[in-house]
Amino acid sequence: MEVLLHILLILLLAKLFGEIFERAGFPSILGELLSGMVLGTLLIHQGSEILKFLAEMGAIFLLFTAGYKEVHLRDLKESSAKASVATVVQIFVAFSFGAALGAYFHLSVLESVFIGVAFSPTSIGVVVRTLIDMDYLSSKPGSMMLTSSIFDDIIGIFLLSIVVTMATYEHFPSGVQVLIILLKMVAFVAIMFFLRKWVFSRLFDQIHKMHVKESIFAFVIVIALFSAYLAEVFGLHAVIGAFIGGVMLSDVPHAKIEHVQSKVTGIAYGIFVPIFFAFIGISLNIASLQTIGLFSILVVVLALSGKLIGGFLGGRLIGFDNYDSLIFGVGVMPRAGVELVLISIGKEMGIIGDEVFSAIVLMVAVSILVSPVLLKKAIQFKNRANSNNT
Amino acid sequence: MVDHGDEDCIRCQRSFAEMCSEMVIRDFMTKDLVTISENDSIDQILETFDKYHFHTYPVVNEDNVLVGTIDRDIILKILLVHRAPRIEHTHLNAVVFQGDTAKAIMLSHPVSISPDEHLCDAVDMMLKHKIDRFCIVDDGKLVGIICKPDIIKEVYKLRGSD
Repeated sequence: MEVLLHILLILLLAKLFGEIFERAGFPSILGELLSGMVLGTLLIHQGSEILKFLAEMGAIFLLFTAGYKEVHLRDLKESSAKASVATVVQIFVAFSFGAALGAYFHLSVLESVFIGVAFSPTSIGVVVRTLIDMDYLSSKPGSMMLTSSIFDDIIGIFLLSIVVTMATYEHFPSGVQVLIILLKMVAFVAIMFFLRKWVFSRLFDQIHKMHVKESIFAFVIVIALFSAYLAEVFGLHAVIGAFIGGVMLSDVPHAKIEHVQSKVTGIAYGIFVPIFFAFIGISLNIASLQTIGLFSILVVVLALSGKLIGGFLGGRLIGFDNYDSLIFGVGVMPRAGVELVLISIGKEMGIIGDEVFSAIVLMVAVSILVSPVLLKKAIQFKNRANSNNT
Repeated sequence: MVDHGDEDCIRCQRSFAEMCSEMVIRDFMTKDLVTISENDSIDQILETFDKYHFHTYPVVNEDNVLVGTIDRDIILKILLVHRAPRIEHTHLNAVVFQGDTAKAIMLSHPVSISPDEHLCDAVDMMLKHKIDRFCIVDDGKLVGIICKPDIIKEVYKLRGSD
């Protein structure tokens, strides 16, 4: 049972390396990726089918918990039109930079579009510490970053569903096919909304009365897997379904009991998600990073500058001054979990090759390392300018 | 008015399980409530926490509809925001940290029960799901709250008459 040893070592190293990075002031995701790279080099040269399956479960649980714990439909409803404008602009610029990069290197249309999609999400968690330390969380650009990052993920996930369907057609879809993709997405979301409004609350009203052990927890997991499966039935990817399923459960009181939430987080972040991140480290082809240096560097530079420029333009469009627009642009630069889910799907479906995959993992790591530092500099820049003016 | 003398006499002839499953929360919930309005500022909320010493306060809108709860853990999180570990640096927590009204920081999905819920069912839920208190809602409106100590008191009284 070699796989048992692999899982054991992955969890052990992921947590140990994660702790080292946390103590050094960086997110544990970097340690989890590193644990995979170390194990991939020394021991696990070819991930087994079981490991691959567990990593896929990790991606499903990562997005399910994101929807279940981090998104509130109420917050989304109340988000202003301003936030949508800023978000659309920064995603559009980042997407264009990614797609243009692919076209410049003569990659296929699908691969170029996928790089554009992979440039879209934002992981706000990376810069929350900096925003708190600099007392900028409640500022105009701080609030805008929070709202924008949620829209980013949602838009990124929907763009992913389009690309995934494009991949199944194996060519750029016609107008009718795009319409079918959209109809499928709308039908899936409509069913999930129906279940949320008419079924989930009533279901949990009964489930909490059941005598079997862990009934609520088990049904939360059942809904996570059901949503993932239903999305696949509709031709969408399982992670998209898991995310939407999580959002639909996010305001069902019994499903959100603290005790249940901590178990869902436990199974996600205690088991599956570290395996997912480590599996990305294992899949990383370090040789391909060395051979295509220029491409990797351009992926890093364009992914970060796409968000910076897009965020700056978006900020200016909604009336921020230059300094606040710059802060907003820097704040939406970091990428982490959702980004890695997107590229692992791209690799699994054969949309992107090893080079693109490795380059984007490198970009994620660089964005996590540099975003907090750059954000601090941008805020200090504004503060200095303000003190010079007074 | 309930005649407690007669009630005790009835109780003494019946089993604990029977009485427990017939008693309804309405009869011993706390009706005199300290609530927080959803538009209260953080300073107003802190004043409430300073003045009273409950763990959790229901948050209501202007129609007295229960919209959330605020507990000591949320207040501690906000007061100690600079010490929050990285694991707390999630989007939702960031929204709470920057919130300036009760509506922004409350837990917006409180588990509530009906005043007609039986005592035993409430106890079952508390034990099974490690819940310390329930807001009692009738037709959407907040009508009471019940905590573990209230339940222990009632169960102890029942046991005494078993």
